[in-house]
Amino acid sequence: MRMLAFTMFLVSCGLFLLPASASARIKLITLPVRERVEVQLDNPNATLVEEERIVPLVAGVNQVDFSWANTQIDPNTILFRVLGPGAPEGEGEPQVGAEAPAMQVEVLSVSYPPNEAALVWQVSASESGSARVRISYLLGNLTKSFNYRAVASNDETTLTLSQYMRLQNFANEEYGATGLWAGFGESFLKPIGINETKEMLAARYLNVPIRKTYSVNPAAYGYLDQPQNKLRVPMHYVLKNNAENQLGQTPLQFGKVRIFQEDGRGSTAFIGEDYGKFTPLDDEMPLFLGVAQDIVVRRTIDRNEARRVAGNLYHREVVVKYEIENFKAQAVTLDVAEILTHIRNEILGDTGREIEWELGPETTFEGGADAEKSTHDQVVFHVDLPARNDNGKAETFVHKLHVVIKNEW
Amino acid sequence: MRLSRALTILAVLCGMTVSAARADNIDLSTVPNRDTVQLTIYNSEDLTLVRETRKLSFKQGVNPLQFSWANTLIDPSSVQLRFLTDPDQLEVLDTTYPHDKPQMLYWNVQSELDGEATVEITYFTSGITWLADYVCVADRAEEQMSFEGFVRVANNSGEEYENAEIRLVVGTINLVEKIAQLAQVSMSEVAKLSEEARDTYRREVVTLAMDADDALGGGMGADRPKEIIKEGLSEYFIYTIEGTESIPNGWSKRLRSFEGQTVPFKIQYRYRPDEYGDQLVRMYLLANDEESKLGTTPLPDGIVRVFRDNGRDGLSYLTAQQIKYVPIGDKIELNLGPDPEVIFELVKKRCWRDHIWMQVFGTDTFRQVDDAQVVIEENSGVAGWDDHTQFVQRVRNYTAKPIELEVRRSYDGHVVFRSGLEPSQHDYRTVQYTATVPAGTTANLSYEVVVHQGRNAKQSNVTIEVDDAPAP
Repeated sequence: MRMLAFTMFLVSCGLFLLPASASARIKLITLPVRERVEVQLDNPNATLVEEERIVPLVAGVNQVDFSWANTQIDPNTILFRVLGPGAPEGEGEPQVGAEAPAMQVEVLSVSYPPNEAALVWQVSASESGSARVRISYLLGNLTKSFNYRAVASNDETTLTLSQYMRLQNFANEEYGATGLWAGFGESFLKPIGINETKEMLAARYLNVPIRKTYSVNPAAYGYLDQPQNKLRVPMHYVLKNNAENQLGQTPLQFGKVRIFQEDGRGSTAFIGEDYGKFTPLDDEMPLFLGVAQDIVVRRTIDRNEARRVAGNLYHREVVVKYEIENFKAQAVTLDVAEILTHIRNEILGDTGREIEWELGPETTFEGGADAEKSTHDQVVFHVDLPARNDNGKAETFVHKLHVVIKNEW
Repeated sequence: MRLSRALTILAVLCGMTVSAARADNIDLSTVPNRDTVQLTIYNSEDLTLVRETRKLSFKQGVNPLQFSWANTLIDPSSVQLRFLTDPDQLEVLDTTYPHDKPQMLYWNVQSELDGEATVEITYFTSGITWLADYVCVADRAEEQMSFEGFVRVANNSGEEYENAEIRLVVGTINLVEKIAQLAQVSMSEVAKLSEEARDTYRREVVTLAMDADDALGGGMGADRPKEIIKEGLSEYFIYTIEGTESIPNGWSKRLRSFEGQTVPFKIQYRYRPDEYGDQLVRMYLLANDEESKLGTTPLPDGIVRVFRDNGRDGLSYLTAQQIKYVPIGDKIELNLGPDPEVIFELVKKRCWRDHIWMQVFGTDTFRQVDDAQVVIEENSGVAGWDDHTQFVQRVRNYTAKPIELEVRRSYDGHVVFRSGLEPSQHDYRTVQYTATVPAGTTANLSYEVVVHQGRNAKQSNVTIEVDDAPAP
């Protein structure tokens, strides 16, 4: 069922037809068909439809009706542009603007009838003939979204990332072969049916290096078992959106990522899903895989000493101790992150002040803090953990973070 | 809907008074046609001044006229009758608003003339409105745009004005009562509402509109877009649509008011959280002046819809933005929202405190902590300090062009803004700095903010200190 109608009343040459005269008893109507449709999906909040039709015009003033019953066209956004003389597809390119031939076509006015999803253009033509026109409008309920399918290699070092654009057409209008463009990459030429959902492969990135991370961060991820001081250890695949990592062509759009892993026997296993955030170029997209059960991290605050500077002004020496065990059969690297304001709030409560701090000499993490990931309020260390022993036992590694929190009261 | 308003000449027996005529159950009347009609529509209020002319035949003596406006939205207190021909021989003796017919009045006209005369009837009505809107289409390179202005006139007044000359008033007028409100009540109730000030304002508006230059003739070429003449009038601007228009009741009509084909514009990226929220936005900047190939008229309030040639034989929709009245010569600033190809991040690098002052409890004695010569009593509390924070404003430009950046940040309290970015002061609490970020590069713009706290705070403003030291 087509809801958009485009009709043209043939009117006597030179007669200035009033909208009210649409009520004339005898009418001859031509129905120009769509010659080309483009759906521009590059705006994150709106869908722009552009359609071209070849409209026969008589010399003088012509009345061109456009109606959109039961669709959500924003009538204030409708643009009517004359591209040039009418010529079916493949029979010559339309000419635009000043290069148009002798036939001059202009929009005189637009009239909007009451209580109707319709409008009437009054178009003048210098001579009889056909003109190629383009009508553009914003259309509601024709929306796009993105989703991904990521297939990690068996050794979890690379993955194949397929990006799909999903088009949902609840606009109550169908379009034939339609150009669909998301604002990046190639466009698609597809028909769009009413109430149809269409999913298209927008891009496929092969051999994308990934970093599998195991992280603890009490402020962000909390405890797995607080009475036993066991921290939650989430796992992520981390993709970096740059050329070195086989990406970096365009920002990665927000969307759900279904993650699979090659099982080594020619098939894949589904290992979880997460929402991938909008990821600009050079940024990382972390994909949460779940909580690691085989890496145990116990966190305790080993020392909390106040050192008076003057009056009620103190420096505080805080040592956080981590006891770490890796029960996995593989060696892994654990990321240990601490939000320093969180430590201060644990021992002092929230004073509302920015934290002033420095690392103390009792800190045992090798290599120091990761400069790229650490900020004024966060330190990140990396700990290499060997696989469990041959007898199945995990070695316990103890690390300390010594922080001097300064000028608190 | 057929004309609901009628001017009727009551052709009653000679010598009878109007009141006697109205008492009769058998009347004979004639209905003169409307010859011309002019609509002056205000966009700041729901107000339209209608000025119509009709030809009437008068006999010598008293001529009763009936004017009615059933099912329309006319303000009865605004109806006026004027004689355009033979005004020295015609005089309105009185005007009567019958209590039982709210949308009607009678005039008794004393005539020395025995023949035809042209009368003009003016009144205010509500329900006819006009709005401006604009369509901009930027070229692929984003250097020039077409800028078209439109006016859309909507008629929901209950009356059909055929072949009306239409004038649109740009500007804000003062009304003490809404016309739509007055149109809903009878004249007797209007009288209760009336105040001297109301009449004064009303007359000023009527006079203003009536005294405007006479409009264009009615003829027009039907095969070209109508020209819209723009003229200044007092504090207002009047658009006169060429020729005449017929807009049936319930319909609206949109006409192009002006067009600029190659309007140059600039692009700037702005961070102004008070105006645009906590995000870096991309702006198209142009001006309503001759240099920008505009400037023929102020731009009335209206929605600007912005498109761009997407380089694929199509358009990209960028934004729709309501603009306020733009005087000739003033700036037009179009906010396109964030650009996913420009990443704007504020990184807090380091925080610390110094200049800490202690107050000995129970005294007015203050000691500075970092003064090594002074022993700080234990019986004291922090009374003043300076909070230092070092920031890096990181801007990643992934576009193919250098971008112009402008950042404004506001601070509360007694603040020092220390930077080598050549910042300037936008106001007493707001700092502004600019930068150019070349294509494909990242700019790290460093600065330090010092907030004097407690007894160290002596002012409530921001001062700028130049600091050429690189960021830590």
